Amino acid sequence: MKLPLISNERFVQIAAPIAVGLLFLVAWEVTVVAMEMPRYLLPGPSAIFQSLVNDWNTLFRGLLMTLKVTLMAFGIALVLGVAASLLFVQSKWIEVSLFPYAVLMQVTPIVAIAPLIIIWVDDTTWALTICAVIIAIFPIISNTTLGLRSVDPNLLSMFRMYRSSRWQELTRLRIPSALPYFFGGLRISSGLALIGAVVAEFVAGTGGARAGLAYLILQSGYNLQIPRMFAALALITLTGIALFALMVWLSDLALRNWHESALRVEH
Amino acid sequence: MAFAAVCGNDRFSLNQPTAYSGPGTVSGDRTVTQPPATPLKQVHPARPSPDAAVTDGRTETMGSRPVVQVSGVDKVYANGTVALQGADLTVKQGEFVSLLGPSGCGKSTLLRIIAGMGEATRGTVKWWEQDYKVVGDKGRKLAFVFQNATLMPWARVRKNVRLPLDLEGTAKRPESQQKIDEALEMVGLQGFETAFPRELSGGMQMRASIARAMVTEPNLLLMDEPFGALDEMTRNKLNDDVLRLWQAKDWTVVFVTHSVYEAVYLSNRVVVMAARPGRIVEDVAIDQPYPRSSDFRVSTEFAGYCRRVSQALERASQMGEEVAS
Ligand SMILES: Nc1ncnc2c1ncn2[C@@H]1O[C@H](COP(=O)(O)OP(=O)(O)OP(=O)(O)O)[C@@H](O)[C@H]1O
Ligand SMILES: [Mg+2]
Repeated sequence: MKLPLISNERFVQIAAPIAVGLLFLVAWEVTVVAMEMPRYLLPGPSAIFQSLVNDWNTLFRGLLMTLKVTLMAFGIALVLGVAASLLFVQSKWIEVSLFPYAVLMQVTPIVAIAPLIIIWVDDTTWALTICAVIIAIFPIISNTTLGLRSVDPNLLSMFRMYRSSRWQELTRLRIPSALPYFFGGLRISSGLALIGAVVAEFVAGTGGARAGLAYLILQSGYNLQIPRMFAALALITLTGIALFALMVWLSDLALRNWHESALRVEH
Repeated sequence: MAFAAVCGNDRFSLNQPTAYSGPGTVSGDRTVTQPPATPLKQVHPARPSPDAAVTDGRTETMGSRPVVQVSGVDKVYANGTVALQGADLTVKQGEFVSLLGPSGCGKSTLLRIIAGMGEATRGTVKWWEQDYKVVGDKGRKLAFVFQNATLMPWARVRKNVRLPLDLEGTAKRPESQQKIDEALEMVGLQGFETAFPRELSGGMQMRASIARAMVTEPNLLLMDEPFGALDEMTRNKLNDDVLRLWQAKDWTVVFVTHSVYEAVYLSNRVVVMAARPGRIVEDVAIDQPYPRSSDFRVSTEFAGYCRRVSQALERASQMGEEVAS
């Protein structure tokens, strides 16, 4: 006999990781209690949860701040990245001359240039956003450029046989072909925007009203408020997962009718 | 295996089965029910470099205006493959020409060059006695059916079929809707307008691609093994449909196929190619009246022509072997 829920693919996809997570949390709690760990070394999940509730106001303000920088950076990276890709596919010359600089931006360690950016840009929020954009933009540029070039050559020949304009070629052929690649880029980039925002804030160390989650982590570390530190970390992680899930959902929505990646396997 | 099967499986049982064994698909292995009653006609000898003028004498019934003139065309791909060497082919207004040859002999390459999709390495191609730039003007429309359906996976069937009209900028006209409906009906895809290509079978995708080619009412229709993936019934029906439209609409057709029977049934002329290097070696005229019906498929003349073409094909395959060894 088959259990109906176990054979439901979708249920398993959601339930299995949650079960693993819960198991891990229980093991963590049990270990902490059994070994009588002091809270300032390693708090158990219950202590972290308690801190999440107690310090909710501070944490939530930090979350909003970090989220604001992340989303701004992600949005700017998306717009600039797509614009750059569209520019790159206009001519091989443009791509050859500019692409290495996109790579350069990608491989420059952000921690090394963040202090400079923070000095140059007065407004801290913008300084953080710029750092996050630098980290997040590359996957969008490289994936979208690849996608815009990954056109069925026969379809392209046919378009040209019908004497299509460049605009028709772009909107009717290149952009639809690029969508799966573009969404792949978005998934990576959304996580990178968050990492960029957090790393930049660590470097900037902005406190006060503009403190984001990263600053809360730093501050909690100094004050040995380790449960709060973990709570802030948990919020960052959850934000990352939520962003990723949102991107998967969007990509499914856009591609489900035709692209292999979004098709349900039918038996 | 492809041509050994096409040539060897029929009732004519050629004396020397070909040793050719390249990749490819056997398509439409129609058995002719009557053995040929007429003695074999003399097939003209292979012409490694046929003069375009030689073919002219047999097509008096057609208009004399050339639609495509391929002369001395070589095609060398970037990796050094010599896909065509000295290809000469003239297709005249109103002709139905089939290209036949072993897999990999350059049929698709030649057809793409005729379509203006691939540059010839050497030689010239002219359309309506002019160079490439005027193709596409009024009354000079090309359409191409690829070996694979080559549909846009993100677009529904109707939008795929409408594509040429969209690119021409005529899709919004009222008569365009009717053209799309007609094309869909002809290939039997009414009711599937809103399906995505992946929801169709391979044969249905191919039919959608044929509908797309017909929607602009092309003057020169180029088809690369369009019916290879279809079942016999659909294939026969589409063969008849293409013939009917060809006659009604004054099309000129160049048709690549693997099937001797299909080539003989459809064409005025069957052009046989050899491989390595790809070239045109024989040009068999099929002097039979149209409309051709299923009676023609079982006639002795049909059997005779099939035999001639099969033998030409066998010789072409052996030429490829000699060069290769
Ligand atoms: N883009 C390409 N680059 C390099 N070589 C190619 C390319 N396209 C085709 N060829 C080569 O050119 C030759 C002719 O290919 P072509 O596709 O024209 O053959 P074909 O007669 O259409 O074969 P088939 O009947 O199997 O479709 C082959 O040897 C093939 O390997
Ligand atoms: Mg081919």
